[in-house]
Amino acid sequence: MSGTTTAVASPAATAPGPKDGGGGRERRGGAVRRHPRWTPWLYLLPALVVIGGLLVYPIYQLGLISLFHYTQAQASGGEPATFQGFANYSELLGDSQFWDVLLATVLFAGACVIGTLAVGCSLAVLLTRIRAVPRLALMLAALGAWATPAITGSTVWVFLFDPDFGPVNRILGLGDHSWTYERMSAFALVFFEVVWCSFPLVMVTTYAGIRAIPAEVLEAASLDGASVFRIWRSVMAPMLRPILIVVTIQSIIWDFKVFTQIYVMTGGGGIAGQNLVLNVYAYQKAFSSSQYGLGSAIGVVMLLILLGVTLVYLRLLRRNGEEL
Amino acid sequence: MRIAASVAALGMAGLAAAGCAPSTSDGGAKEDEKSGKLRVWLFREVGNKPKEKVVDDVVARYEKKHKDVTVDVQYIPVDSRAEKIKGALNDPESAPDVIEYGNTDTAGYVKDGGLADISEEFADWGATSQTDKTAKESVTVDGKQYGAPLFVGVRALYYRTDVFKELDLKPPETLGEIASTAKKIREKKPELYGIAVGGAYTYGAMPFVWAHGGELAEPKGEEFAAAVDSPEARKGIKAYTDLFGDDNCPAGKCAKMGGNETVEAFAGGKAGMAIGGDFNRQAMEDGAVKGKYGVVPLPGVKKGDIAPAFAGGNNIGVLKSSDHRTLAVDFLKEIAGKRTQEELFSAMGFLPTFSDTREKVAKKEPFVEPFVETLDAGTKFVPVSPAWGEIDASLILPGMFQEIVSGKKDVEGASGDAAEKMDEVFRK
Amino acid sequence: MRPSRSLIQKPWRTAAELSALLIAVVVAFPLYWMVLSAFKPAGEVRGDRPVPWTLSPSLDSFRRVFENEDFGRYFVNSVVVALSVVVVSALIAFLAATAVTRFRFKLRTTVLVLFLVAQMVPVEALTIPMFFLMRDFGALNSLLSLVLPHLAFSLPFAVWMLRGFVKAVPDSLEEQAFIDGASRTRFLWQILFPLVFPGLVATSVFSFISTWNDFLFAKSFIINEPSNQTLPMALLVFFDKETPDWGGVMAASTVMTIPVLIFFVAVHRRLVSGLGGAVKD
Repeated sequence: MSGTTTAVASPAATAPGPKDGGGGRERRGGAVRRHPRWTPWLYLLPALVVIGGLLVYPIYQLGLISLFHYTQAQASGGEPATFQGFANYSELLGDSQFWDVLLATVLFAGACVIGTLAVGCSLAVLLTRIRAVPRLALMLAALGAWATPAITGSTVWVFLFDPDFGPVNRILGLGDHSWTYERMSAFALVFFEVVWCSFPLVMVTTYAGIRAIPAEVLEAASLDGASVFRIWRSVMAPMLRPILIVVTIQSIIWDFKVFTQIYVMTGGGGIAGQNLVLNVYAYQKAFSSSQYGLGSAIGVVMLLILLGVTLVYLRLLRRNGEEL
Repeated sequence: MRIAASVAALGMAGLAAAGCAPSTSDGGAKEDEKSGKLRVWLFREVGNKPKEKVVDDVVARYEKKHKDVTVDVQYIPVDSRAEKIKGALNDPESAPDVIEYGNTDTAGYVKDGGLADISEEFADWGATSQTDKTAKESVTVDGKQYGAPLFVGVRALYYRTDVFKELDLKPPETLGEIASTAKKIREKKPELYGIAVGGAYTYGAMPFVWAHGGELAEPKGEEFAAAVDSPEARKGIKAYTDLFGDDNCPAGKCAKMGGNETVEAFAGGKAGMAIGGDFNRQAMEDGAVKGKYGVVPLPGVKKGDIAPAFAGGNNIGVLKSSDHRTLAVDFLKEIAGKRTQEELFSAMGFLPTFSDTREKVAKKEPFVEPFVETLDAGTKFVPVSPAWGEIDASLILPGMFQEIVSGKKDVEGASGDAAEKMDEVFRK
Repeated sequence: MRPSRSLIQKPWRTAAELSALLIAVVVAFPLYWMVLSAFKPAGEVRGDRPVPWTLSPSLDSFRRVFENEDFGRYFVNSVVVALSVVVVSALIAFLAATAVTRFRFKLRTTVLVLFLVAQMVPVEALTIPMFFLMRDFGALNSLLSLVLPHLAFSLPFAVWMLRGFVKAVPDSLEEQAFIDGASRTRFLWQILFPLVFPGLVATSVFSFISTWNDFLFAKSFIINEPSNQTLPMALLVFFDKETPDWGGVMAASTVMTIPVLIFFVAVHRRLVSGLGGAVKD
């Protein structure tokens, strides 16, 4: 494929043999020309059918619902749905709480993404430097955290940090310090839980990636006397980029939409709503009282924000010469 | 930005098509069949077996009377009931004929077009002359009955008999005494909360408001208007929020607690008193306080008064979409009837909604006496309005208590803001 | 990593190993607490003395979990749903990943971003449109109504992950196959597919866990067919605002987590080598 630029993939490097005049074919453009134009679309077809039918169509409905006064009474046919233009949006954007919550969400999600990636990547590097037994122990612990349902994970964490009934305050000698009273300390507690349950994915993928980097490359870097951090920045990270892009984008999407952890751990958004994030806010404003019109409007706004973030991220990558 | 452009195009397409309406369902029954399968949804309780046994008997009795009918009972987890019932409303094909539902949901389900009006049958049913007034209120919307009460749940004051004996205290007889007794306990035994209270424990706080003559909301024309900012309500709010502090229940820990956490604190041996329900008995029996607690009605402002408690509980209703309406109402009478309520009390400890049945069972089981006394003294209910669901879900009242407790606002300010938010929802 | 091992000095390695073990303990502690709470007798789960052991382990909580009628049935349903999602999404994602990596065409990036878009909407918001869609398909109450949405939600991630694996297969191989006269289909299934397979296994883990642990769809779309319920419904029984049964919650969670954990332990080596394929380009 002509788009791939790395040395390993170039046919000249791997297939030097004089097999059937390969050079000639190469000049004619290789695989790409062989296929009719619609071939990629044929391969994409099943995915597009699934995505189109099960995602695009519902999202279209979502946009539609967001323009209506649409509650449970409308959904179940008790009352007719009335078109009301952008009323749901203006209600949302006119709510000063929405902007507070949006800011908190962006900061909190940003912290979670960075925290998760940092912890995941450093532990991945750590994994490459230790022998099998401790490695297995850490790996299993991480896999366990990953496999735990979010609702249980959050519940257990609340138990652990309970000022009256939890062991953590006793171990750390914090007396009856309440983690959920102050806004920052409550966010911090949730942050730890989010990192706990999402770092394993990053760690395992990154570790696998490092393992796949040719040993000579790392060895050469070590011989040059580069520090662990330098090796990571200048050797590992560039090679791991395809993986890191995926986990970064996914982390952004997941952490921006964090719900269960906040809902369970701070009792639905913290004292007087101080720990609300967008998804929990949406739940309280709309979904739990079946105001689907307003809820859909929040959904559309979240979609637009995340889409914006993702596009900016992808654009930055492209500016750095990264191909998707 | 080719991507952005095509996404925008997609969005425009959506707008252009906005003329056509989003999907809805067409509910409503067409027939009233007299045979076939009757589908019933009941809540799956923790430890559901005894309930199943009672229900099995009910079904057997019913099927004996109606030869051509089979009853299919399903137990749904309490935590998924909202989704299930919404699903049933959206897809009448999947809907059952009879459901059990939490009594605070009545107005909402009626508005959603879910529950059938059974006022006539309710009036003709002899047993209902004994139905508790508040229980009846909890199935009534705009003067019409949309179901029958199955059981009530009510809260009273739990206290530690051992602690009270050791400190030579008597169970408090006024709300003022609760505060002073609580502070004494905390002073002598700093490892305990005097009385465990929670900033998110709305149903524990409401009796304080009601006892001082306040209301959550008052009927105004067709709808309600918030009343939490009335002078009486503010007195009650102050009395409750004054219980938070280092001399009883430190705000740092108690502001966040809900009903369940306060009960857990008491059951775990961390509190001298707590406001708990008859349905919390098992938690106490499993906890550290087993055999060391007593219950009295939550006292009012004056000696001899009982603070009005919130009457929770579940109802049984018939769905509007049911095509077995007559059969469904018959089943409702069987399962919410006196005999079943009595059996459910023995099996599950559910308090009957018929006054005479309740009296009868209270004699057999001394534990429920203070709760029955509370019920008899008169209970209160949340505003029967579909808006209540939203007020409850958006945590307006817990938010108000927490703002006061954490010192973010004073009673005046917080209750004024809460009233404003409530009115906004009522007006919708 | 044998070559680099020799380069690390002993004391450093010991320090690294000790900290790894310490981190493992910290990470595993919540899990340990979950299992422990499942075994504690009812009153002790939130007792006033939080000790990391119990002197009177009890199986009562597990008994309450298994007492759930049809527990075995729920389990089988969960497995069926999760496996269907895993297999179907792997196949579809494989094709899609091939399309977006081995071909250049207009709208390629748009398609990739489109795959992500759905995940950006809060699930609660999508439940209502999805519900009506499933109703119109006539899929409500059947396991299909769980498979389809999960398929849609796990595809994007699978495609994005698999891209790396497909990319890693050298172009020369493809060239060679065509020179040897292989058809496109043969190359796809007999050469590319086996090479990407480890990656498929690794990717499938993600779809498996998210499907296995979901209950929003399970409680919204399986309305009146209790025999089609999945495992998380057995967990939900114990969450009740007024009288939650924490022992039951922990026992049910343990029961849910253990099969996944066993599966993990079984495949974790393959998982690591599989995922590694994504960078070999």
